[in-house]
Amino acid sequence: MKKLLVVLMALALLSPVMAGAEDKAAGPKEFVVYLDKNAKDNHYIPSGWMGDYGDIKMNDQAAENPHTGTSSIQFVYSAKKSQTQGWAGVYWQNPANNWGNKKGGFDLTGMTKLTFWARGAKGGEVIQKVMVGGIKGTYPDSAMIEMGPIELTNTWKQYTVNLVGKDLSYLNGAFGWTITSDMNPDGATFYIDDIKFEADPDLKPEGKKAQGMPFYVYADRSSVVNHFIPSGWMGDYGDLKFESSSKEDPYLGDTCIKIAYSGKATQGARWAGIFWQNPANNWGSVDAGYDLSKATKLTFWARGAKGGERIEEFKVGGIMGEFSDSDSATIGPVLLNKEWTQYTIDLKGKDMSYIIGGFAWSANVDNNPDGATFYLDEIKFE
Amino acid sequence: MRSNSNKKTGAAFETRRGFSLNNKFRLVTGAVLRSKIAGYRRFLLVACGFLPVFFLSACCTPKGVYIQKMKNRSYRLMVNGKPYIVKGVCYNPIPVGKNHEYDWWGDPNKPWIVDGKLMKEMGVNTVRIYQVNEDPQKVKQVIGDLYNLYGIRTLLGDWLGFWEYPCPFYGDKKFQEKVTQHVLEMVRLYKDEPGVLGWILGNENNYSCLGHVNPWSSPEVDKEPDPQKQKNIRAKIYYSFVNEISKQVHQIDPNHPVGLGNGELVGLDSAAKFCQDVDFVACIIYRGKTFGNLFKSLQMTFDKPLLLAEFGADCYDAYLKKEDQNMQAFFLQSQWSQIYENLAGNKKGAGNCLGGTIFEWTDEWWKHNSDYPEGWAQHDTQSSWSNGSYYYDIRAEGNKNMNEEWFGIVALSPQLEPATAPGAAESINKRIPRKAYYVIREFWKNPNYDARHKKKSSRGKK
Repeated sequence: MKKLLVVLMALALLSPVMAGAEDKAAGPKEFVVYLDKNAKDNHYIPSGWMGDYGDIKMNDQAAENPHTGTSSIQFVYSAKKSQTQGWAGVYWQNPANNWGNKKGGFDLTGMTKLTFWARGAKGGEVIQKVMVGGIKGTYPDSAMIEMGPIELTNTWKQYTVNLVGKDLSYLNGAFGWTITSDMNPDGATFYIDDIKFEADPDLKPEGKKAQGMPFYVYADRSSVVNHFIPSGWMGDYGDLKFESSSKEDPYLGDTCIKIAYSGKATQGARWAGIFWQNPANNWGSVDAGYDLSKATKLTFWARGAKGGERIEEFKVGGIMGEFSDSDSATIGPVLLNKEWTQYTIDLKGKDMSYIIGGFAWSANVDNNPDGATFYLDEIKFE
Repeated sequence: MRSNSNKKTGAAFETRRGFSLNNKFRLVTGAVLRSKIAGYRRFLLVACGFLPVFFLSACCTPKGVYIQKMKNRSYRLMVNGKPYIVKGVCYNPIPVGKNHEYDWWGDPNKPWIVDGKLMKEMGVNTVRIYQVNEDPQKVKQVIGDLYNLYGIRTLLGDWLGFWEYPCPFYGDKKFQEKVTQHVLEMVRLYKDEPGVLGWILGNENNYSCLGHVNPWSSPEVDKEPDPQKQKNIRAKIYYSFVNEISKQVHQIDPNHPVGLGNGELVGLDSAAKFCQDVDFVACIIYRGKTFGNLFKSLQMTFDKPLLLAEFGADCYDAYLKKEDQNMQAFFLQSQWSQIYENLAGNKKGAGNCLGGTIFEWTDEWWKHNSDYPEGWAQHDTQSSWSNGSYYYDIRAEGNKNMNEEWFGIVALSPQLEPATAPGAAESINKRIPRKAYYVIREFWKNPNYDARHKKKSSRGKK
């Protein structure tokens, strides 16, 4: 009996210590990026302004209808292209203005998601993407995860970035967003609040799900259904003028794409082209893209300014890198008509399970000695 | 049929052995002796009964090299009745200081003797040669030495006039006839050499149909204004031509398969219509660490067995500007792993791969600037083309990361080493195997790819 009492007493004495040890092993359940201005739990600062930074106004004490606390952050984006970029964005950094040139950041291993709340002033504002990590430099972030585009509503809504399986051992750029003038031609006002990392043990890794059809590469200038960015300029890129919001007789909707290729061989390549990528500038170095297994074809509409412009190749996929496209398909050479004509790239039998290069075209000087101006619209997987 | 006869032979042997053991300690009496003689008679009768089976089995074992189509659209290469995985290298041993015009076939130092020994030690069983020398004696010597000394077989190729000046006129009957006769002459000369494994027609000639390399035309093409249709017409002409050669090769030599040398899978939708008489596709593929969906994609477009006839990685980091043997070994191991996954019998893959020939055995120092003789003795480090699949050094200037002179899995040293060929008077460039040589050697020893096979082995142990 005495022995039993001793054991019970020992257990009673030890149990708080053990519980504490368990808590310690479990680690913190959340890690705040930003709650309210001057909140003591804030770990990052919205200091990394990018692109057309002159188009952004920030009020970090917006008292009107915060999600929690006394304020939220209001961003007003004018879309005036102050720095002629056509896009803008903000990163939350640690320390402030750290673009990877100094040691900072935090080891957030154990966190499985980032959550934030956002709303638009009117609803319908489009955030091109939000990022976790991705700042490069001498001290690069250990991961880059992107999500978007996001179309905001005029009421607060929580958004989640799944981080399961990602290397979060060093994050200087905890959170960021970008916005484009194409998607918000009249600018946008929106609010963000309560940004934090959370450890959710039940969250599963985000597998790529097969996208439903139709799946747009480009629908219209400001369309939220545009999924790829015309960022991969190739060859004589100096010969190209690109307009994603041409109003010159679009095939459908308000706008179409106008491309003017001068054929001057500015870089000496004697050819040029553009890849629509996900994310922008992804030449296979970023694990991203879409599962388009359900697609059996890609269709698009095209016309030449004069008719007879020769495009050597229209293409889907084919970007090769550490994370290569799973397949490629092409048509061409194509002589464009002056009238809108629909073209189809057959994808039957192709492996479309991993596509970062949604669409591309290329033309050369030899077949367009005076250059070529042409238009594209309604580029989509079906 | 063959396995059945073996089984029965095994049973007969067991009977005889049992008889002997049972009587081991008996006195040999007359009765026992009679019984023993009767036993021997029974054994002889049984054995004689199966002699024809043995005989037939030996006679019916298919000779030569052929491709066996198996279930689920799998294929395997058979050599004298046994499965054969092509573990090969592309072979063009140009010494330091010489260019592609050098007649290595006539080199009195016989570099293939040294190379063959190294190859055998690595596990190489096949070399791919792009085009034979004009002197049949030299060719027979090389093929014979590699086979007789080391058991290494040779895939012989022909460029199909791809580099003819001004361009390969595949639509021209005279040009076709000239090329055809060149190929058939090769087949007639070497079809009976025991070291020959097969024939490969062309290399990346299909790119000329797109007009990317060595563009050509014909009156039929010129009549068509639509450039996309022009491309299709050229593909039809080219693949029909290769098909015709393939048919004629089969007539002369039914004992070796004919391969279509093709850059990537480009144009194979046309080949499916016009080139069904080739036995396999010999693809030239540079896709970095993975072949992606190559195997299944071929199955969908042109259901023929696949030989990876040219693939690999260079070992020069164009970004850091230094040799990187680890990089080359990494890519090659990954590539071989996928080749094995897609061999017949491996459920993980498409089952249509026959093996591969790595590009290449030794470096070629002349390649960067073939018109500049002084450069032939320099190991140039300038990159000449870009390929993002080899991503370690893609940040090199202008994204040019592919170093043509650094693809060998064996480095050449300007230092000389004694040639080992009988009667060799001089020396050859010293051969220095790179890391990839050893990594692939170990991989081939234990590819560890066949889970089904492993299960069988473990059952056997129990």
